Amino acid sequence: MEHFDYLFAAYSIIFVVIFAYVAFIWRRQARLETELHAMEERLQNLKPVSPSPGVKSAVEN
Amino acid sequence: MGAFAAVLRKDLRLEIRSGRSTIALFALSLLIMVVLVFALNPQPIDRARDAAAALWVALVFAGMLGATRSMIAENENGCMSALTLSPIDPAALYGAKLAAAFAFMAIVEIAAVGLITLFFNLDFGADLARLAPSLMFGTLGFAALATLLAAISSRTRAGDLLLPILAIPLFIPAIIAGVKASEAALSGFPLAAASQWLGILAAFDVLFITLGALLFEHVIRED
Amino acid sequence: MKNKIGTALGLMTLGLMLVSLFMVFEWVPTEADQGIVQRIFYFHVPCAWVAFAAFGIVAIAGVFYLWLKDQIWDDLGYAAAEIGMVFCTLVLVTGSLWAKPIWGTWWTWDSRLTTTFILWLLYGGYLMLRAMADDTEEVARFGAVIGIVAALDVPVVILSVRLWRTIHPAVLITRSGEHGLEDPRMVITLLVALAAFTALFGWLLMLRFQQLRTRTRLTILRREVALIEAAVGDY
Repeated sequence: MEHFDYLFAAYSIIFVVIFAYVAFIWRRQARLETELHAMEERLQNLKPVSPSPGVKSAVEN
Repeated sequence: MGAFAAVLRKDLRLEIRSGRSTIALFALSLLIMVVLVFALNPQPIDRARDAAAALWVALVFAGMLGATRSMIAENENGCMSALTLSPIDPAALYGAKLAAAFAFMAIVEIAAVGLITLFFNLDFGADLARLAPSLMFGTLGFAALATLLAAISSRTRAGDLLLPILAIPLFIPAIIAGVKASEAALSGFPLAAASQWLGILAAFDVLFITLGALLFEHVIRED
Repeated sequence: MKNKIGTALGLMTLGLMLVSLFMVFEWVPTEADQGIVQRIFYFHVPCAWVAFAAFGIVAIAGVFYLWLKDQIWDDLGYAAAEIGMVFCTLVLVTGSLWAKPIWGTWWTWDSRLTTTFILWLLYGGYLMLRAMADDTEEVARFGAVIGIVAALDVPVVILSVRLWRTIHPAVLITRSGEHGLEDPRMVITLLVALAAFTALFGWLLMLRFQQLRTRTRLTILRREVALIEAAVGDY
């Protein structure tokens, strides 16, 4: 089995790289989703306040 | 046409006025040629090949320096915003900047070609005449490319690093064709022999001038 | 809906990959001249196909972005550029691993490798641009322009490199794995591998694209929140 190591190296690298990229996407996704939910919540909390500035002081205290 | 001429005149005038940096540029061209002489160690037999190589290295350097400078000057004094807001046709603006870049590169190249003729034992008359087509097409192509890209790179961090990173890969087909055409010209082959290469160069020029004219507005627009 | 497509693509990818691997390692006959190393070819070529296809997508997305000015096209283009870069790198790496035992050298300037290398540089330029600049609408426009310019440059590259190499061929041995696919099993294996990589490409593109959409949504939300907070803060 001449040159088997080259064959093995080539296929291994292909899979390692693909898995690494998928892992990169996976980790980013978790972080993005947490941030997204946090932002959506903040927006929900702010929304009732904004239209009428006069109400602001009541809500703030 | 009026806008084109006006912007071109302005750019050339600015360039001439900053004469200080032009001298530094000539010095730099000279030194790059010196490096190439020692790197290539030209023998008479390789004359054509080495001279062609040196020529195109010089061309790329000249273009790189020329394009960034003109854009940075514009962005620094807010001139670019003024030009963008004015009713000048972006294609005409692009044309003017291209012409300025071409003129600037040509000036530097005259110096570089003179040095190459000396260092690489070329013949001032016939050889230079033969080199003219490939040199002109190459300069035009690089000016077209660099004018568009410099507008992009000058608006990003480390813009002067980004310009070569973007420009050189795109310019490679022109380098391949140009060096081959120049080499054929210097080897005393008739123009026909170099014609495929010159054809590629010409196609490159047409492509990038067209692209530049079409896309320039998207690059200079500010929101 | 989105997740159904994603899952379907993922499963298809997995299935086709497994079949492909079986074919490459168990089914297809060994090539006469090059031995087992030639089997790298069956995954090397699809990587190149994906790299070039992704490039096309970057360019088309660029055109749509400049025309329609919708961020969704920039997200697509950026995702495609990243994935294209990954696969372009794989082409070069697997190509070297194939070249070394066959030609005795890791690298050679034959027309295909040279063209792929230039493609890799073009991808690199695009990604450097995105990395060195903030994610603004302006930079998205720049990316679109670069994508279009680079894609239109590629045919000129292919032409000039091929001409360059026919006149001065660096390597006279043709890689018989490519042109002389004597056994039909080799052709089938290649086609299945191509299908597997196309599915893989689709799946990765979908994943990354959706992620960038989420990021865009996040940016929009951030702006809304900031606006409201600023308005509220004025009083």
